[in-house]
Amino acid sequence: MDRPLRTLQNWQDGNVGNPLRTAQDRRLPRIPEPCALVIFGVTGDLSRKKLIPAVYDLANRGLLPPGFVVVGFARADWGDGSFESLAYAAAKKGARTPWREDVWQRLSSQFHFVPGSFDNEDDFDKLAETLDDLRVRNGIAGNTAFYFSIPPAAFPLVLNQLNRTGMADPSKTGGWRRVVVEKPFGHDFQSAVQLNQLVDDVFIPEDVFRIDHYLGKETVQNIMALRFANSLFEPVWNSKYVDSVQITMAEDVGIGTRAAFYDASGAARDVLQNHLLQLLAMIAMEEPTSFDPQEVRAEKLKVLKAISLPADISTGSVRGQYLPGWVAGERAVGYLEEPNIPADSTTETYAAVRLGIQNRRWAGVPFYVRVGKRMPRRVTEIAILFKRAPHLPFDPADVEMLGHNQLVVRVQPDEGVVLKFGSKVPGTSMEVRDIAMDFQYGEAFTESSPEAYERLVLDVLIGDRTLFPDAAEIEQSWRVIDPLEAAWAGQKPEPYRAGEWGPRASDEMLAREGRTWRRA
Amino acid sequence: MIGLWDTTGNEVVKALAAERRSAGGVASGLALTLIAVVEEKKVREAEAAATIAAAAHPCRLLIVVRSDMEGRSRLDAEIVVGGRLGPAEAVVMRMYGRLALHAESVVMPLLAPDVPVVTWWHEEPPAMIANDFLGVVAERRITDSAQAPDPVAALKQRAVDYAPGDTDLTWTRITLWRTLVAGAFDSTEARVVGAKIVAPDRDPTAWLMLGWLKSRLGIEPTLEHTDRAPRLHSVELQCENGDCVRVTREEGTALFSRTGQEDRYMPLPKRPVGDELAEELRRLDADQIYADALGAMAGLSGLDHRNPNRVHVWKDPALAAIAGSAA
Repeated sequence: MDRPLRTLQNWQDGNVGNPLRTAQDRRLPRIPEPCALVIFGVTGDLSRKKLIPAVYDLANRGLLPPGFVVVGFARADWGDGSFESLAYAAAKKGARTPWREDVWQRLSSQFHFVPGSFDNEDDFDKLAETLDDLRVRNGIAGNTAFYFSIPPAAFPLVLNQLNRTGMADPSKTGGWRRVVVEKPFGHDFQSAVQLNQLVDDVFIPEDVFRIDHYLGKETVQNIMALRFANSLFEPVWNSKYVDSVQITMAEDVGIGTRAAFYDASGAARDVLQNHLLQLLAMIAMEEPTSFDPQEVRAEKLKVLKAISLPADISTGSVRGQYLPGWVAGERAVGYLEEPNIPADSTTETYAAVRLGIQNRRWAGVPFYVRVGKRMPRRVTEIAILFKRAPHLPFDPADVEMLGHNQLVVRVQPDEGVVLKFGSKVPGTSMEVRDIAMDFQYGEAFTESSPEAYERLVLDVLIGDRTLFPDAAEIEQSWRVIDPLEAAWAGQKPEPYRAGEWGPRASDEMLAREGRTWRRA
Repeated sequence: MIGLWDTTGNEVVKALAAERRSAGGVASGLALTLIAVVEEKKVREAEAAATIAAAAHPCRLLIVVRSDMEGRSRLDAEIVVGGRLGPAEAVVMRMYGRLALHAESVVMPLLAPDVPVVTWWHEEPPAMIANDFLGVVAERRITDSAQAPDPVAALKQRAVDYAPGDTDLTWTRITLWRTLVAGAFDSTEARVVGAKIVAPDRDPTAWLMLGWLKSRLGIEPTLEHTDRAPRLHSVELQCENGDCVRVTREEGTALFSRTGQEDRYMPLPKRPVGDELAEELRRLDADQIYADALGAMAGLSGLDHRNPNRVHVWKDPALAAIAGSAA
């Protein structure tokens, strides 16, 4: 539990060990100790689109330590060409920093590929040998991060092998051991607990990093700056001033090639359980006593525990499924016509639910959370709608166009913050209407900011857990989703045309409470 | 873009306001005002650098070119909002004659309200910043000693003239070096007992590296002159336990060697000025580590206890010229 995290600790305490690093010297970036990154499923989609480019970008920015090495493990059945050429193509395609051949040459000379399958003991022995060899040769002192870019079904196999070969045992290898897992973290509370136990059997909980890439986004981290670095927002950040909160994650795309996974899970399990509840926690949590990972997680967990579901789930939530339609000028097929989806599927591609938070700050404020595929455009945002002024000394006709004051955090795209408030229409009469004050992070501000995976991979290697939800948060999030899924079981989702903002029932759900969805 | 020839400060203020209105919500989140003091032939270079820096730090960019102080007073201005100079809103001003000595009278009304002011000299740094009012109004001042005829003397002058909030781009240029050297001691407790820097002795970055190691480690590093490399070539640290860590520059990469371990190559690119400027603009408070390194290098102490606010000292080049000829 209290294993010292040298690098991170040094940063926080002004460093005792290294006289060349001091807290005042903020130009020097955080760089991990020499270590190895082992990627299971290195030839998969995620690894090629995100991980390998992120590693290249980190190298290019000079953020990787000398001796850093990547060990890829996967079945050698991806087709033609060597692992080298696969990694090259992946890095070059996904890199966000300028391409520099010499950086890649040096980096790729530290890429090792161990072909193998997850049920073959010999292959894992080979992997352990490779790591042992690198420990001495690269001076990595046994520091290893294992990245599970594999389906959860393969977890037990790999974990058992890591256990058997002693690769996951820091006392045998001398350095630190960390494991990185991706969503889905189970498909309900029970399976999440099982999965967590499984991982915790082999690794200690502090060494498990669960990636929710939303938390790696600059704007999401900025929520904390917005809330806790300013005095302007805190006084109104409560049920006395806030009317309601709307959290939206809309995608214009359909389910793509994920048919089998998607049809088995649906929108709520796919993104509501993780990304949206994490956003909700960031917006609603109390101020942590410090940005120590323990403190931030403790506050997030408290909010997740305080979430309440609608008394009647059938009226307080809506599920939808898209029909054929037109999105962004192109014809889109309906969900049931998507390849590999059963014609009688009742899986939702849209979910909206009215949540509450049972604490003093938020009692009585509805949190409307919605997520959908085949919406008119891709947007993720959090809108805080403030109450109307208690008294308006204007002629009612003059304030017809005045809505709620709003503070909107746009997570993607066009990252920024919008403040919407009433303002006089220029002219001789006293007419008031809403005006939006729009703060964008500028043009390249977002372009050059690191990709979420880049930031998160670096944090894993450094050992900073602040942006990773822990097991308790995951399990608590499932406690929110499970009753919804139970109530929805066997129900047919409401249809909506592709290219619409969800089913009409969803608008009606808000209309019953005198509200409307904000057009995101 | 609006071009104004033989104009007045008020016209420039009006034109900037008009451009902002017609361009819509451009650069609505201003973080700072950047005054770039540039000589004519470097204007394009400064614009390119400021454009890169503005991408990370939305700013109002005021480029001031002062020339021909003997001629008739005259102001030309060019106003760009959005477009060529990226997200920045920019005014390029050329001042001639006696007006050039009073550049602040044009610049002051153009400073964005209540955001920090940074002044950057993309030319030979002034010997005394207090003599340049454009430096006095700024919270942060960025010079580049490498642009002086004698860079090392210019850097030492920076120590003499130092006030908290000053930095020099020669310091920014060794951030990557410092990262590599500092990284070598993250996973070892070895105490450093000696250091050798190999560089041309006219390279100011080498002297700052020396000052940094001296101030942080309490050792007396040696500087070995070389003609083979144009810039800082290598840094070698000897540890108490006999280990040796050496970083050597080789064409955009660094060779990192350490006793008992295989040699490694790490990226060590030469960054464009824009990236260096962006690094400077990240922090608008005084850089204490720089002050320590600069002081150690010039043999001065107590640099960060100096008053951060300078008082403008009037210096008239015309009078100086007369005094010079009289003497």
